[in-house]
Amino acid sequence: MLRIENDIWEKIRDGDSSAFEDLYDRFAGAMFSLSLEILGDRWEAEEVIQDIFSILWRKPEAYSPQKGKFSSWLLVLTRNRSIDRYRSRKRRLDHGETDEILHSRPDQNDKDGADNATASDEREHLNRAFSTLPPDQKKVLELSYFKGMNQQSIAELLNISLGTVKSRTRLGIEKLRNSLSNLRL
Amino acid sequence: METLKQKALDYTLGVLPKEESLLFEAMLEDNDDARQSLVQAQEDCAKIALSAKPKSLGNEVKQRIMENCQPNLNFDPFLASSPIESLRDNFSRNANRYNGGGGCVSLKQITDPKLHDEIHRMYDDLVSLSPLVAGDSNAAAGDMSTLKSALKKMPSFTQSVDDLLVHPLDEEKIGEGLQSVHRSLLSSMPSLGFFSDRLNGDSFSMGDVRRLFYLCRDQLKIMRASFGDIDPPRLTEDEKLRLHSAGLLQTKWWGAEHAYFSSKGKVRCGHFFDGPVTERCVEFAEYDANMYCMANLLAPRSSNGEFHLELIKDAVPDCILAIATAQTSQVSHQELHEIVNGLTTPDHAMESDRILWTLIEESMTRAHQHSSLSDLRESSLFGCHRLKESSYLWFAWPAIENVHSGADA
Repeated sequence: MLRIENDIWEKIRDGDSSAFEDLYDRFAGAMFSLSLEILGDRWEAEEVIQDIFSILWRKPEAYSPQKGKFSSWLLVLTRNRSIDRYRSRKRRLDHGETDEILHSRPDQNDKDGADNATASDEREHLNRAFSTLPPDQKKVLELSYFKGMNQQSIAELLNISLGTVKSRTRLGIEKLRNSLSNLRL
Repeated sequence: METLKQKALDYTLGVLPKEESLLFEAMLEDNDDARQSLVQAQEDCAKIALSAKPKSLGNEVKQRIMENCQPNLNFDPFLASSPIESLRDNFSRNANRYNGGGGCVSLKQITDPKLHDEIHRMYDDLVSLSPLVAGDSNAAAGDMSTLKSALKKMPSFTQSVDDLLVHPLDEEKIGEGLQSVHRSLLSSMPSLGFFSDRLNGDSFSMGDVRRLFYLCRDQLKIMRASFGDIDPPRLTEDEKLRLHSAGLLQTKWWGAEHAYFSSKGKVRCGHFFDGPVTERCVEFAEYDANMYCMANLLAPRSSNGEFHLELIKDAVPDCILAIATAQTSQVSHQELHEIVNGLTTPDHAMESDRILWTLIEESMTRAHQHSSLSDLRESSLFGCHRLKESSYLWFAWPAIENVHSGADA
């Protein structure tokens, strides 16, 4: 899989549009799902994906194998860009969104069927792993990962120390890693 | 090692303070443990990403994204052409940069009751429509029922514009508001009318909902910038200092379908530039209206159903060039030439086209703070030019000084 990813990237770097299309087919869905989860806005999530693919085509050197797996880098980039937009929008709207908002947003899933049985099994596995995390670790991960809150803000919100935030984040991820060791990206 | 893992995780999550980020990046150059920690942190975070509920992307998104692979249009010949050389020789920055708000009148100045009421009604309808096409709407999720129900209750925007413009407007009853009326009815409104009519019918796509979202947003801003009393609280927001990047324009135009009444055109975009274009929403609205006017002039005249938009900074110092170009026949280009140079006869078919260009001209007098159109025309601050088999329309806008990076409203 790693070799396939590197091949795709190298071909894109050489201007191969078929490889670019292959990249889209393989990863755009996961990237979009993540971005939509964070932003709750379809058009903004599409803009994030559009921007990232545009960068990849125009500046493929933005990635290098030293930065780890191409797929991982893509998803982290998607997450970070989505968080940047989320924060920018929040500043513009000039009111804070509570940590309940993510879960209380209108469920857009009902009408939007994604049909991929294999990915569904793995997500089920992942969601189970996530839900079995100790609540304090899960909370910190949600705020940090999906809301992009900085650790100081999380510490203040939850009335815990900065060090506790850091350790809960790390421990949560380590627990997930053990559960997800076979997960295919 | 634990500290390194923590740093790598914090870095990946974007929460490592800037100075520590720089130190960590420096460490990556020659520290294997740091690199491995980063790779592990990225993989962990990537896997968390997959806990997001799966959503499908429409085919139109793939089509838009694959357009990145199309070769860029080469603007070098145009930038080396005589009008742009003239612009380069003549352009100079004003001491106080224009940042929009000009040409705004009170809606009360329009004493034609039908026109007054229709403009107000269209604005109110658009305010109601906007949340129904927003990215968090039911329509964006695929459920069109609420949107269609709302559209059925509203008069067609296309029909409304047609009804208002079927006869020449009574300028005595409009006075100084003529420009504002034209800008409100003829810049983004025709395209908006086209897509809302399509969504009201049977053949539509998710891409149409998205397009209508951007058109509603743009049209509302244009109308507020045109009539200061149509929505004072929102206008107050629009007047605040807030940079708007070229990326905002590129995002909405990229891969779009455009319509000017019954004429349609496929939009191809250049990569624009990375940086801000305007300083306030009211300025952005005026700039946007100018771009729609250029698009409206080209869409019906393109030989191959496509036209190209590009924003270029610094090809002329202190200036942003907005350029629209399309392959055109000699006859179509001659029409454009006559429209741009005020040589049209009072023929109804070309009258609204001449109005489109007049809107750009009047905007240029404000943007460059110079009342003489002939001087501005001589300086090539706007114009029409032909190279090989393509027509180019452009207008020049004063660049924002001393800004190092792009920002978004």
